[in-house]
Amino acid sequence: MCPQAVKDEVEALAQRGTAVELVEVGGQCYVLASAIPAPAPPWDRQSYDILVAIPAAYDAASLDAFYLALPYKFNNGTHPRVQGGIITVKERQWQLVSWHYQDGKPWARGLDDLASHLTHCKGFFLHRGAVNAY
Amino acid sequence: MPIDLRMTEASWHRLRELFKPSFRSGRCPETGAIGILGECRAGVRHEFLVVKLFEPGPGDLKIAAHDHLIFDSSYIRRAHLEMRRNRLAGLVFFHTHPLADAEVGFSLYDNREEPLLVENLQELEPATRVVSVVVGKTSQRGRLWLNPGSRQDLARLIVVGETLSYWLLDGRPASPAPTPAALFDRGLALTGAGALAVLAGLTVAVIGASGTGSLICELLARAGCRHIVLIDDDVIKIINLNRILYATQEDVDKGTPKVEVIRRGIEGLGLDCRVEAVKGNVLDRAVLARLREADFLIGCVDKGFPRQLLCEFAYRYHRPYIDIGSEIGGDEKGIVSLDARTSYIAPGRPCLQCAGVVTSRQLHFESLSAPERERVRAQGYSDDLVMDQPAVMDLNMRAASNGMMVVRHLLQPFLLTPLPVMILENMVTYSVKAIREPRALNPKCPACQANRRAGYGDCASALGLDEAAVLAITGNHPQ
Repeated sequence: MCPQAVKDEVEALAQRGTAVELVEVGGQCYVLASAIPAPAPPWDRQSYDILVAIPAAYDAASLDAFYLALPYKFNNGTHPRVQGGIITVKERQWQLVSWHYQDGKPWARGLDDLASHLTHCKGFFLHRGAVNAY
Repeated sequence: MPIDLRMTEASWHRLRELFKPSFRSGRCPETGAIGILGECRAGVRHEFLVVKLFEPGPGDLKIAAHDHLIFDSSYIRRAHLEMRRNRLAGLVFFHTHPLADAEVGFSLYDNREEPLLVENLQELEPATRVVSVVVGKTSQRGRLWLNPGSRQDLARLIVVGETLSYWLLDGRPASPAPTPAALFDRGLALTGAGALAVLAGLTVAVIGASGTGSLICELLARAGCRHIVLIDDDVIKIINLNRILYATQEDVDKGTPKVEVIRRGIEGLGLDCRVEAVKGNVLDRAVLARLREADFLIGCVDKGFPRQLLCEFAYRYHRPYIDIGSEIGGDEKGIVSLDARTSYIAPGRPCLQCAGVVTSRQLHFESLSAPERERVRAQGYSDDLVMDQPAVMDLNMRAASNGMMVVRHLLQPFLLTPLPVMILENMVTYSVKAIREPRALNPKCPACQANRRAGYGDCASALGLDEAAVLAITGNHPQ
């Protein structure tokens, strides 16, 4: 039940060598993006896998936030933004990260897409409030 | 089954401009243009939709002996290639007959040449449908070629834009409208006999059968509409008794579908208005497809996702769509706004996302699966995205009334034109504002600004979600 727009984007990203795949659980579509780079320390490893929930109305609907594969450690503890619900997808546990677009820089249909959202998500690991691109 | 041709007002105006040289005084040339066609087949409705006009360039039109018009083969090839590339239904050939002052018909030359044209085009692509329209000074006539030996007359040309107009394609000048029943005497000043006759022949789809939807159905029936397709998936609950017409405590007890309650009420008025009650969610592909049977859409829903989907449908099928909403806004100090909003969406006009009525963030939240939405809600970031809007009948009435006025205007204009992007009434400040500019215009918007499937009708993948996706969103997905 993944929207056609995200199917097309995942295919295009995969062809360019980005490690992404579509996963569907309980009628909800996700994109699993592997090996998102992170500086270690403060993170306990140099890359993480993340999950992005894809709304059915994508690409009219924006993307927002993501799930982080568990377990993880940040400064040998937890990260204050990793406090959300925990789900099981592909026999792994994932926790929702509160990582949103700033009010002044909302998602723009036709300009933003899955690739720009993954860039936005990378900003979380770099621990900067970057939005959209760098 | 009657077959109609549907096009945007912009295309129709452009055609009229192109054809002006044919209708000046003196000896005037025939002229013409080719368009590519989408198609819509639903129930008893069969329509061709003009996706795009190819304006003739130098050398594209030639005049043969006896002043007959010839479309150059390269001109035809250009249009046919694009039709085939985009898997569209066919081509439409418009041409003029300058000497047809009153009635217009196809000439012997047309009758001889068109089957040859059809044969050539179907040799390249057997599924090609060919529509031919001949335009006179005050009349037009149309026909469809299924193959070189089989043709069928077209019934109407429907033009959608700032107004909604219907032109008979029977080759005769418009005849006077029938005298309406005495029932409508007092409304004739606003909706004359011609517009009333059109309204009586329209199928109007009303999406949402709560407070505003029930009122719109009532207003349509009392205005002279005789066929409503009413769509909603909910049943009457105790909280609906404050605003849904005809709903009773017995309906609450029985859990009667909202659409059934309104059907019962409207058909009981004795106004000869038939209501088709469709219990289903308009997000569902199969339910959304029912809208293809309608001439006109009126949205009375309170969520962004169905609104945006209805916009996409309106552009895909060249259908006029009026969206109606009301909202009670407040803060810790009390009520700050009582808004009744009416938006008109049609080809050439902005969608609700560009108008700022629907946001991509709202669409995100609403179109996640129910468990996913709960996790997002639990984060607290989406507290402003209220799912259950407060609603009272008095405010619903203002929104429904404004919406109905726009319906009447589209059939027989009386409001200032062009219609604003939205009409916003705020009772707290006693103000009615015409919002003329879209608040969030996205020049690349794939719905209203750069829609690559506008007018495609059934020639593109179906809009809407499959049943499982709808169940996931509404929270009924089997885990």
